[in-house]
This record gives sequence, structure tokens and C-alpha cells, in this order.
Amino acid sequence: MVVKVATMLLEYGAESRLIEQLSSRLGVALGCTSIEMSLIPSAIVLTTLIGDSSVTSTRRAYEQPINMSIVHQIVTICIEAEQNPRDIMRVERALANIHANAYPGWLIIPMIGLSCAAFSHLQGADWAGFFITFVAASVGMSVRRELSRRNYSLLIVFAFTAFVCTLIASLAFFEGFSTTGHIVLSSSVLLLVPGFPYINSMLDAFKGYISMGWGRWAQATLITLMASLGIMLAMGLLGVQGW
Amino acid sequence: MEWMSLLLDALWAAIPAVGFAMIFNVPRSALPFCAAGGALTYGLRDVLMHAHLSIELSTFIAATTIGIIGVFWSRRYVMPRPVYTVASIIPMIPGTYAYEMMISLVRMNTEGVSDVLLSRFIENGLHAVSILFAIAFGLVLPSMYYTKRKQPII
Repeated sequence: MVVKVATMLLEYGAESRLIEQLSSRLGVALGCTSIEMSLIPSAIVLTTLIGDSSVTSTRRAYEQPINMSIVHQIVTICIEAEQNPRDIMRVERALANIHANAYPGWLIIPMIGLSCAAFSHLQGADWAGFFITFVAASVGMSVRRELSRRNYSLLIVFAFTAFVCTLIASLAFFEGFSTTGHIVLSSSVLLLVPGFPYINSMLDAFKGYISMGWGRWAQATLITLMASLGIMLAMGLLGVQGW
Repeated sequence: MEWMSLLLDALWAAIPAVGFAMIFNVPRSALPFCAAGGALTYGLRDVLMHAHLSIELSTFIAATTIGIIGVFWSRRYVMPRPVYTVASIIPMIPGTYAYEMMISLVRMNTEGVSDVLLSRFIENGLHAVSILFAIAFGLVLPSMYYTKRKQPII
């Protein structure tokens, strides 16, 4: 049970310290003497000590999209379990009830479009540029959602999304429609910034989980590289001039 | 007038914070805080840059501030801190610098290395990397203080 919680936390992108603290607190609340664990980016090894006997098990963690509301629900469950110790049934029921709380597509796609448009506005683009960024980022986001739903690798999703975004954003160069084409191009791919992996890797590394930090950092860098590959491909294809 | 435009910019910055918070699927109740955090960090950074601090230093100060605020918020609403902090620092991501860096790299490949391109590559790259580090270190700093104490934050 504890290992299930830990695996879920790892899959949905919690930081290492949180994983370790939460699982050991939950374990103690459920009546174990102590919990020892070792983390690597793709798996968890966890030992439960109850009195003199111990059980060790290993779980593989699969790649999942980052989902903070699941992490939040697990945190709440653990704190509840601490307040009512040794109530295993209750925790089990709560864990079964975790839901993803995904935002609907019609809300998230325009919102991301608006976000990237706001970026372009902050960098000083004109209103035509604002509009193009909005369209490019919205289309990019819907492409990203579609591809993720079909279970493509994360890297391919990012590369292809960047490709589409850049293609649409290049409209800004078309017949001088917008005077600030660079800004449009750069801000319409901002929806691909892997903020969470980078910050998580930094947090992990600074708190003493060096191998986790490196693993997540490498993952984030790979994602960024793939995104820039997509951008370069689109640019090469169109031969975007003027830079 | 200047203050007005600063305020408006901060409000614009709240939009990306919310948008990216949605990508990370934060719980609904946390969205307003992400917006407030985004506006706050961006506004603070603008104010500090007006006071002629460098962009890296002001980013660092803004990130540290949201890190400290995040500790209070997470205690109060029982929420892991990154929920607030990561969404709030999104508006400060140095996207333009990173993009310029990449562009000059591509141009060096196609047109051959020249001094102008090389200096642009290094300049923009350094800016992007140092801003990223400023953000990360600013966020880590408050939690490093709390790891000294044995008691967990939430």
C-alpha cells in the first residue's frame, strides 16, 4: 500500500523529498516501525519494517503527465491517515477514490493560447502578433492533447507540437502582417517549456537526491532538445527569412 | 503612468501563470493563488529592474519571494509547494533569450561562424542560463532553510 502511494507520487511528478517524507509518515501511521526507500527516476525500492521482520518490494514507475491534483489528494490522504492511525480500510477507500480532475479541452486550449499571447504582449509584440500567437498556441495545445491521448512518446509529442506551432507562427512573417515576427515565433512555442521537470530536478539535487535530480534534468533537457528540433525543422522547411 | 503600465504588465503575467497551472492540472482551488503569484513575481521583477538592478538579480529576488510566500500558502491550504511556486515563476522563463540563442546557432550552421553571431549566441545563452539558475535557486532557498528543521512543512 505504501509502495503504491510512493509510486503514484513518483509517476505524477512530486519531488523526491515529498515522496520519501509522505511514504514514511503514512507507513508509521499505518503501524509500521519504519519505512526505508531508495529512489531512481524509473523505479522505487521500498522496505517496510514491522518489528523485527521486513518486507522489500520494487515497483516500476511509468511515465505519466504531471498531475498536481493527484499529488495534492495523496497529501491530504496521508495527513488524514496520520490523524486516524491504523485505519487501513479508510486509506484504501480514499486511494481508490482519487480522480484526475482533468480540465476540459474547451477550457484549457484557449487558455493556453491566451497565455502564450500574453507572453508575446509582455515581450512587446503588436496586436496582429498577439492574435497569431493565440492561434498558433491554441492549435499547438490541441495537437499536444491529441497526440498524448494516443500514447505517443513524450519526446515525439513535443517535437511535433513545436513543429506545428512554428509553422503557424511563421504566418507573422507573411507579407509584413506583423512587424514583430521574432517575438511571435519565440512566444508561441513557450507552451512547451518543461517547467516542472526542471524545477523538480533542481529541488531534488539541492536537497541531496543527486541521482533523481540528474535523471529529471536529463529528461527535461531531452524534451527541450526535441522541441527545438521541431522548431528547426519547421524553419528549415519554410526558410524563414529575416533573422 | 509608469506605475499603471507596470500594473497592467503584472496583470498580463497572471494569465500565463493560470494557463500553465492548468497544464499541470493543479486543483481548482489553487488557481487564484497561481494567478496572484504570477502577477506578484512579474510585477516585483519589473519594479526591481526599474530600480536598475540586473535582470538576473531581480529574478532571483522575485523567485525567493514567491518561494517564501509558497511556504505560508502550502501550510495554510495543505498543498505541496510546487503547485504554487512553479506556476508563478512561469512568466519569468527566459523564452526569448533561449530562442535567440538557438537562432544564432542555426545561422552559424548555415552561414558560417562570424563574430557577431558568436557573440550573440554567447550573450543570449548566458542570459538564459543565468536567469534559469536564478529562478531555480530562488525557489530552492526557502525550502533549504526548512530542511534544517526536522519537522516537515505540511
